Amino acid sequence: MEGFVDVMFQPLEDFWRGFISFVPNLLVMIFIFILGFLFAWVIGILLKRVLAVVKFDIWCDRVGLTALIRKGDVWAKPSEVFVRILYWFLVILFIMIGLTALQLPTIDNLISQFFVYIPRAFSALLILIAGYLFAGFLSRAVLIAAVNSGYHYAKILAEAVRLLLVVLILAMALEQLQIAPGIVVAAFSLLFGGIVLALAIAFGVGGIDAAKRIIEKGGEEKKEETGEKGRDIEHL
Amino acid sequence: MGMEKTDILVGIASFNNARTIGHVVKAVDAGLVKYFPDKKAVIVNSDGGSTDGTPDIVRTATHDHAAIFLSHPVYPAHRISIPYNGIPGKGSAFRAIFQKAVEMGAEACCVVDADLRSITPEWIELLLSPIMKEGFDFVAPFYSRHKYDGTITNSIVYPMTQALYGKRIRQPIGGEFGFSGKLAAFYLTQNVWESHVARFGIDIWMTTEAIANDFKVCQTFLGAKIHDPRDPGADLSDMLVQVVVTLFNLTEKHYEKWKGIKGSMDVPAFGFRYHVGLEPVRVNIERMLGIFRTGIRDLGPIWLKILGSGDFGEIEAIGKLSGKAFRFPPKLWTGILYDYAIAYHKRLISSEHLIKSLLPLYLGKTASFIMEVEDMDNEGAEAEIERLCMEFGEKKEYLVNNWREGGA
Amino acid sequence: MSDFHQTDPIITLHRLGRAGLERIESEMVEFSKQRPIALVLPALYTEFQGEAIKGIIEELKKVKYIREIVLTLGRAKEEEFKKVKEFMSQIPYEVKIIHNEGKRIQEIYATLDRNGLWAGEDGKGRSAWIAYGYILANGVSDAIALHDCDIVTYNREMLARLCYPVANPNIDVVFCKGFYSRITDRMHGRVTRLLMTPLLRALQKLVGSNPFLLFLDSFRYPLAGEFCMIADVARTNRIPWDWGLEVGVLAEVFRNYSPRRVCQVDIADNYEHKHQPLSAEDAQKGLMRMCVDICKSIFRILAAEGIVLSDSFFKSLQVAYIRLAEDIMVKYEADAAINGLVFDRHEEAMAIEAFANAMQRAAEAFMGKPMGTPLIPNWNRVTSAIPGILSMLKKAVDEDNR
Repeated sequence: MEGFVDVMFQPLEDFWRGFISFVPNLLVMIFIFILGFLFAWVIGILLKRVLAVVKFDIWCDRVGLTALIRKGDVWAKPSEVFVRILYWFLVILFIMIGLTALQLPTIDNLISQFFVYIPRAFSALLILIAGYLFAGFLSRAVLIAAVNSGYHYAKILAEAVRLLLVVLILAMALEQLQIAPGIVVAAFSLLFGGIVLALAIAFGVGGIDAAKRIIEKGGEEKKEETGEKGRDIEHL
Repeated sequence: MGMEKTDILVGIASFNNARTIGHVVKAVDAGLVKYFPDKKAVIVNSDGGSTDGTPDIVRTATHDHAAIFLSHPVYPAHRISIPYNGIPGKGSAFRAIFQKAVEMGAEACCVVDADLRSITPEWIELLLSPIMKEGFDFVAPFYSRHKYDGTITNSIVYPMTQALYGKRIRQPIGGEFGFSGKLAAFYLTQNVWESHVARFGIDIWMTTEAIANDFKVCQTFLGAKIHDPRDPGADLSDMLVQVVVTLFNLTEKHYEKWKGIKGSMDVPAFGFRYHVGLEPVRVNIERMLGIFRTGIRDLGPIWLKILGSGDFGEIEAIGKLSGKAFRFPPKLWTGILYDYAIAYHKRLISSEHLIKSLLPLYLGKTASFIMEVEDMDNEGAEAEIERLCMEFGEKKEYLVNNWREGGA
Repeated sequence: MSDFHQTDPIITLHRLGRAGLERIESEMVEFSKQRPIALVLPALYTEFQGEAIKGIIEELKKVKYIREIVLTLGRAKEEEFKKVKEFMSQIPYEVKIIHNEGKRIQEIYATLDRNGLWAGEDGKGRSAWIAYGYILANGVSDAIALHDCDIVTYNREMLARLCYPVANPNIDVVFCKGFYSRITDRMHGRVTRLLMTPLLRALQKLVGSNPFLLFLDSFRYPLAGEFCMIADVARTNRIPWDWGLEVGVLAEVFRNYSPRRVCQVDIADNYEHKHQPLSAEDAQKGLMRMCVDICKSIFRILAAEGIVLSDSFFKSLQVAYIRLAEDIMVKYEADAAINGLVFDRHEEAMAIEAFANAMQRAAEAFMGKPMGTPLIPNWNRVTSAIPGILSMLKKAVDEDNR
């Protein structure tokens, strides 16, 4: 008879023991959550003040970042948006940390993977931003130089340069994020190679006449130079 | 090298000019003897590392003075060759010359190009007398040029300089200048020798700094300037960038000075002005207009950002004019240049891209000017340029108003 | 019916012969294909509770040559804005309402303010200015017409005549101002009759022949709130945000364009709108505020033209003004008499006194702070300072109107 009672209460006892050992962890987790919210809130206020002092909003206005935010129908001040993003980032961070306090192995695994991923996501973002700016700068340089040299296809050339760079940047970012790396590499190669091939065909076929004209003109100019009087205009 | 003090210093910057520098040195020498026989003089050749023996020629070029003058020099002019450091270019060469001038305590100095074919001994007198005898600090040259030449000067540098600083120096990018020792010392105090000033920007820089810092300036008529054809490989867009960037940098630097100046006045002029028959000049209008129109098509977004849709609309409209009917209104050009100056000041886009994007517009203006003055004589062409200057003067208020609001 | 006398320097377009609404409207439809016109309506919510607006909308429904209407709404809460949106939906072509008190537009004003480009206090000047910005951002209209929403005697012919000179490519006009007589049983338009005209004449007596004064004096009703202009004017002009708005606009037009490209047009046989009570004691209220702002505007513009305004100048001006105002009052009395209109000499004289007072205050304010100019920056400058501001504005208005 006693054995039966023991067997019946055993699971309850086990559960109780487990529960007792679990509760402190739970409390720690909750404490970390609260701490996190407070911390994020304080940082938010401080950051808001700092941004006001360095005139962050005005900088965003002049650089065109505000216009970008508004495109998404977000009408808060740029500094507020920034603070808000940071606030939630910190909160999520603390939630992650809090979850580790539970000391449950599966959760620990997930959390550590998450933390490993953050720097990668960050560098991917940096690559995207820097790459985008660089692509714009380089393509504009090509455009202006080509126009000034009198090439009719200046715009196409500049756009092709930009496209190639953008494809490259995207591939680099995706590679950082390790999203299906094998496929990305294959797709990138195909795309990049395809663009280059297309350009070659376009210039090759379309350019035959142009090349012919250039070669012929070169000969003509030589003849012209000896015949025509005068010198070239001096701009300076 | 022997000489420690000198009254006069003549600087010649050179790089592989063996063919022509001999003539220049002889002319300078003769000029010094003829016009300043009782002054100590030195000829300084600032050489960029010539490989054709240029410095040797400088040293040995002589002229039989007895054949042309009756007097003998009291002090024969010494010659010095010095290499220069820094970015290869005229500016760095000049810096070395300024240094020498200050070292030797020169009272009056001048610089001449090493490839001048039309230099005469009279040039020395014309460049130095205003300094020695009339107390001027800066002498700008005034050449007799073909009406098509010097379009960067005629449509950008001259109108803008006279509108901003109120002094009508007709050719601020001359090449030959006279300056006092005092001014040379001032030039050396400026820290510009790593910038565009060191190359093509040196001329405009010297002129503008002299005017803006209230030195006594004048100009002197030298006749025709004939020199060896410059290297055609010199990229026009590169030249434009260097001159215009220097111009805009100076404009930024001297804002407080020019914002209050209204109108412009002539500067004292020396020399006897005469007309010279000049060789014909080839122009390729089609190419210029082609680049201008390509610019409208491809650089539209950039121009729109800098100029606003009002002026850009006008540019599109004139882009549709064909052949002989094409005209670039002076008012529009003035507005464009001031908008570029403002865009430069506000760092709207990278400054190199900014000025390079000006080139098609500049070519359009040049083509229009050439067609306008095709059938005119030099006076007619000058009148057109003066008309442009008036526009720059009238629109100056626009530049002042838009400048101070929201700088970089 | 009026005469066809032309004064210098602007063009004057009269009502001659029979009015032809159909003719003018069909011509406008043709012109508007080349030169699309936007109509700006500055309005307060309280005007939607009045009667005049209903008549105006009824007429506007039938107009076929307006590309877009931009109603710039002031002093309206969220629900009131929605009501106005519903009310305006009866117009069959594009209407956009700018909700000045709304979150989005307020954020736009805040963005401008923190970049040192303050658009002024809440008022007609600022409301009209933001409407111009939207029209420029939208980029479809080449001309902008503007009139008030409290016109009781509104009819479509007014609008057609107002827009015609700017729209007609053969008349090359950049700016066109409306004029009319404001008669019921008596003459109205006190500020124009008894302040502007004698003041301008007095100034001309003191200053001599001045192109700006001549320009301003050639307008028959310089304070009219109805005008039409090409979009370029909206881009380059800096307008005052206070009651000196009308005079300020004329001054900017004078500064930037040749007077030969400016005209005025007789837009109505009769014109009636709400009246402002005249309170002589409190300069802040009603017409007094308007007069002070107008005088300040004129003084500032004259000073900018190079005229020296000193204490003694203002003293002489006061005397000359009162003299001329009294003279002109006699002329108005005769005009009223022959036309059987009521004319209260005492009221007119009191108005002159009040206006002289306003001028005094304006002179004091000017001498104290001559550069205290409430001018809104022009759109060219704003767009160069804050790239993307126009697309932000467009987005804000489009979202509000969704």
